[in-house]
Amino acid sequence: MIEVSELTKRFGAVTAVDGITFTVRPGIVTGFLGPNGAGKSTTMRMILGLDRPTSGTAHVNGRPFRQAPAPLAELGAMLEAKAVDKGRSARNHLRAVGATIGVGRSRVDEVLAMVGLTDVAGKHAGGFSLGMGQRLGIAMALLGDPPVVMLDEPVNGLDPDGILWIRGLLKSLAAEGRTVFVSSHLMSEVEQTADHLIVIGRGRILADMPMGDFIRQSSQHRVSVMSPDATRLAELMAGPEVVVATADDGSLVVEGLGAREVGELAAANGIVLHQLVDVAPSLEAAFMELTAESVVFHGSVDQQAGSAA
Amino acid sequence: MSEQQAFAQGPEGLTDGFTARRTSQWRVLRSEWIKLLTLRSTWITLIAIVAVIIGFGVLSALVASGSVTPSSSNGGGPPTEAMRRNPLNTVMSGANLAVLIVAVLGSIIGAREFASGLIRTTFSAVPRRLPVLWAKLMVFVGVLLPIVLVAIVAVFFLGMSLLASADAQTVAWSDDGVARSVIGLGCYIVGLGVIGLALGTLLRGTAASIGVVIGAVIFVPALATALLPESWDEVLKYLPSNAGAAFTTASQSGGAMLDPGVGAAVFVGWIVLAVACAAWVIKRRDA
Repeated sequence: MIEVSELTKRFGAVTAVDGITFTVRPGIVTGFLGPNGAGKSTTMRMILGLDRPTSGTAHVNGRPFRQAPAPLAELGAMLEAKAVDKGRSARNHLRAVGATIGVGRSRVDEVLAMVGLTDVAGKHAGGFSLGMGQRLGIAMALLGDPPVVMLDEPVNGLDPDGILWIRGLLKSLAAEGRTVFVSSHLMSEVEQTADHLIVIGRGRILADMPMGDFIRQSSQHRVSVMSPDATRLAELMAGPEVVVATADDGSLVVEGLGAREVGELAAANGIVLHQLVDVAPSLEAAFMELTAESVVFHGSVDQQAGSAA
Repeated sequence: MSEQQAFAQGPEGLTDGFTARRTSQWRVLRSEWIKLLTLRSTWITLIAIVAVIIGFGVLSALVASGSVTPSSSNGGGPPTEAMRRNPLNTVMSGANLAVLIVAVLGSIIGAREFASGLIRTTFSAVPRRLPVLWAKLMVFVGVLLPIVLVAIVAVFFLGMSLLASADAQTVAWSDDGVARSVIGLGCYIVGLGVIGLALGTLLRGTAASIGVVIGAVIFVPALATALLPESWDEVLKYLPSNAGAAFTTASQSGGAMLDPGVGAAVFVGWIVLAVACAAWVIKRRDA
């Protein structure tokens, strides 16, 4: 169990994390979702005690992580895959850090087998690919058999095989009753594994709800309609609950009316329609929409998912 | 349910019979011990330190005793008067070089984890952090002090016997201040390494800490002594290298140096200051 309360972190004038409160529960996979720079890593670093909060608290299993008698066996974390000494072998890396909780060789080999690194256990970690480094980081997180596992962007750099493997791993860790907290900046990744979703943007919590609720809440339908007489159609559809926007290709994107209503309205007024489509937004789109205003680093091309089919 | 467990234990399933132990200072020490000995560079450096202390000492003794004559085309020639006059300095020439290597090793050990990012894993395993610094210091001193002392005492007897066999001037272990300065030099070498280690964790960069420890601690005092007017000498005596010289040289050259005991105390003071700064910063700064 991870309990974060009123947690704030400022770096000079920049507020990276702005008074957030949430709880990560055991037995399920909780996705921690937000654009790059939203404050995910900073939050995780404060939970681990790597960064000192400006204010607020983060508790792991009911107390600050600092007070854990055997920290590695309390919370296993992977923040960056390549946080290893290049000159040390994978096995010795795990042995050295594991020694803080009395981990022996057999447990190290067990974990190396679990993440599929047995064959390269004696190789220097400096020569590892990003994917192998990621597996080594996960091995470190699991080494102490902790009840709480926290992974920052674990899918980064993994091949499709590795991605499938990690999805299965996360689910089985949760099924064993562990608390599993996984960050990502991609909705599509979290969609596959998470049971619960915490969305963060600009250091604030934007959503904290079961995945099912998030899907239901965000499946507000839109209708895409194309007509040679778009201007008149838009005027006819106008109403207090209706929002009409024009997409790049000239089609109208309508919120607040169903495809059937739009079609009937057009027929009743003799307007020709070339296309009438019900658009159910993907979770990705819902996530983008939710975080659109909270993206810190906007690209030169604005990411608008509005008209995406 | 997991909140009440004083000792966290994962649910069954992933492991057969592994039980976590409390993270004690002893276990952190073991962790740092494994870290140091599983790097090939550590072994290479340790061998280099012994080779330099003994090798250069023996070579200097051979040169001073006239058994080996450096080729005169390279500016060599017969043993100089100075070499014959000060047998202890001659035999300890390698040890004086080893100071640099040990200081560099200390800096690297202190800074290395910050450079690689491993420190975040380390501090995740030991979030109270200070045990990590203590363990690094203990492992460093525990490994280097015996090695340096054995090498330095060995080269003393080896070098003196070489000088004696060539009928050159020698000093005996029992001579006034000799044992103190030989052991003192060994401690001084390791002490500078400790300062390097502290600076490495303080500055978090291998290059920066090597630069500071070698520049400020070893060269600046020598330069300052040479360049500043004599009225500064009272102050300069307290710089780390000058305080070190007070207990690593057998012959006291008048009031230019501190008393050996005071010198040792001042040097220990510098070590304590460096380590205290490192501890304060390690505890406070975001990792």
